[in-house]
Amino acid sequence: MAEPMIKTENLWYSYNDQEPGRGEMQPVLRGVDLTIERGEYVAILGHNGSGKSTFAKLLNLILEPTSGKIYIDGRDITAEAMTEQDVFDLRRKVGMVFQNPDNQLVATVVEEDVAFGPENLGIPAEEIRTRVDMALDMVGMREYARHEPHRLSGGQKQRVAIAGIIAMMPECMIFDESTAMLDPLGRREVVDTIEMLHREKGITVLTITHHMNEAARADRIVVIDDGRVLMDGTPEQVFSQPDVLLAAGLDVPQSAALVHGLRKQGIDLPGCVGSVEECIATIVRAYTSV
Amino acid sequence: MAKIELQHVNYIYGEGTPFEVRALDDVSLCVREGTVTGIIGHTGSGKSTMVQLLNGLSRPSAGTVLLDGEDIWSRPKDMRSIRFRVGLVMQYPEYQLFEETVRADIAYGPKNMGLSAQEIEERVLEAAAFAGLDPALLDESPFDLSGGQKRRAAIAGIMAMRPEVLVLDEPAAGLDPRGRDAILRGMREYREKSGATVIIVSHSMEDMARFCDDIIVMAHSRVVMQGSCKEVFSRSDELAAVGLDIPEISSVCSRLRAQGIEVGEGIFTVEEAIRSLTDLFAEKEKSKG
Repeated sequence: MAEPMIKTENLWYSYNDQEPGRGEMQPVLRGVDLTIERGEYVAILGHNGSGKSTFAKLLNLILEPTSGKIYIDGRDITAEAMTEQDVFDLRRKVGMVFQNPDNQLVATVVEEDVAFGPENLGIPAEEIRTRVDMALDMVGMREYARHEPHRLSGGQKQRVAIAGIIAMMPECMIFDESTAMLDPLGRREVVDTIEMLHREKGITVLTITHHMNEAARADRIVVIDDGRVLMDGTPEQVFSQPDVLLAAGLDVPQSAALVHGLRKQGIDLPGCVGSVEECIATIVRAYTSV
Repeated sequence: MAKIELQHVNYIYGEGTPFEVRALDDVSLCVREGTVTGIIGHTGSGKSTMVQLLNGLSRPSAGTVLLDGEDIWSRPKDMRSIRFRVGLVMQYPEYQLFEETVRADIAYGPKNMGLSAQEIEERVLEAAAFAGLDPALLDESPFDLSGGQKRRAAIAGIMAMRPEVLVLDEPAAGLDPRGRDAILRGMREYREKSGATVIIVSHSMEDMARFCDDIIVMAHSRVVMQGSCKEVFSRSDELAAVGLDIPEISSVCSRLRAQGIEVGEGIFTVEEAIRSLTDLFAEKEKSKG
């Protein structure tokens, strides 16, 4: 049986260790146990300050845990024996796309930006060429290869940033609120790209978001609250519990809120609420059977 | 009555250089007094350029900006008073905090208005309450606050000047649902208590539908639609053509209609949809019985 892509055991993190002198601070993560299998598409939800971004940053050692274990593809990355080269390999394997597109682009031409990662891996020039073209094709930005990144739209910039990670052939990609600064069109471009990477390329995807309708597109939703895993299940299981989500500072998508609201009015609506389609089907079925 | 009016406004970046960009192209619009008016449009449509004209931060290349019917550039020396009357909260305002305490940061605007110490203190407390900021945080350094708290402190700093027009450029970007609702409710409360006019730029159609009276749609440097929420969100095809959506609930309703459930048209909040559907279920139950 294959090793899980990501496995954490009793993971704790406190910013105290990093910033001494800032007084006693509550730990941000308080014992996170989570297993993510290869090829899963997981959304991580949580309010601002819940610890979800911290969790993501631990997975490729941008931050180091205060205590607990992290296994990536079966390898303990929290072990003393991790060398600089090991960390390098880890970051190639687990790529990360951040929130602000302007902070992630380093070159003055799109294709050079995408080549930056593979160049640093010491890959031969011809191979880099192939990878850059492949990566730009994949995110639908090939025709912009010679453009200046700073003149692109937000969604296009994020897709270039994604291509830069793809060119390093990662097995897992983490999106840390990568759509937060985008307009509806840009957000759709990026979410479609994420979904394609998962479905067609089998890449394990973790996406951190505040948009409930984006989370609804994942196979699994993990809700982090107060530094712990509060909920873990399919969109259907998670969005069936609006009160728990609300108490955690979150929300359900509007379609699910409609079904829950109707149930509160005493209408008998058996059925699922995990996606817009399911909500519509649930309402139509109940209405026809009245 | 129009609180703010733009008449045939053009704005050109780098005019006369090879990099000339027309960011606003013959923009005319009207914001009714006492309303919450939403501005929507994709990135680069000219929204942020437009809001920076409203308090004279930028001067139009051509055309007029009217506040209460008066051209704000008719007496450029009075621009200072315009800035007190039209408060602008820019995108990611938390990066603009600079004082040693949250209290001092919020007090910065009122202080510049030359108000008494007592008046300033009153306004700081009032604004902190509108912005949903815990008074216990007032003596903290703004740099020790969380992202959401910083955002509220920055918004409070503008509210403390009690502007007649409060302009917010994407005030909820990047916040979780609870933080987003707190800021939008605070904005509405400020409007209700002060009678001010509020202009808000956002990418969330759901938020706009919940909190705005009127909507102005911008695309390609122009105003392409303006009207009530109902009028604008009922034109879903035109919105889609300029890269915008309608609220999820509105598309759910139109898909229910397509399946033969006669939900009312022009629904754009969850509450309205629940009311409409509850009635339909009840009618059907009755006609059966």
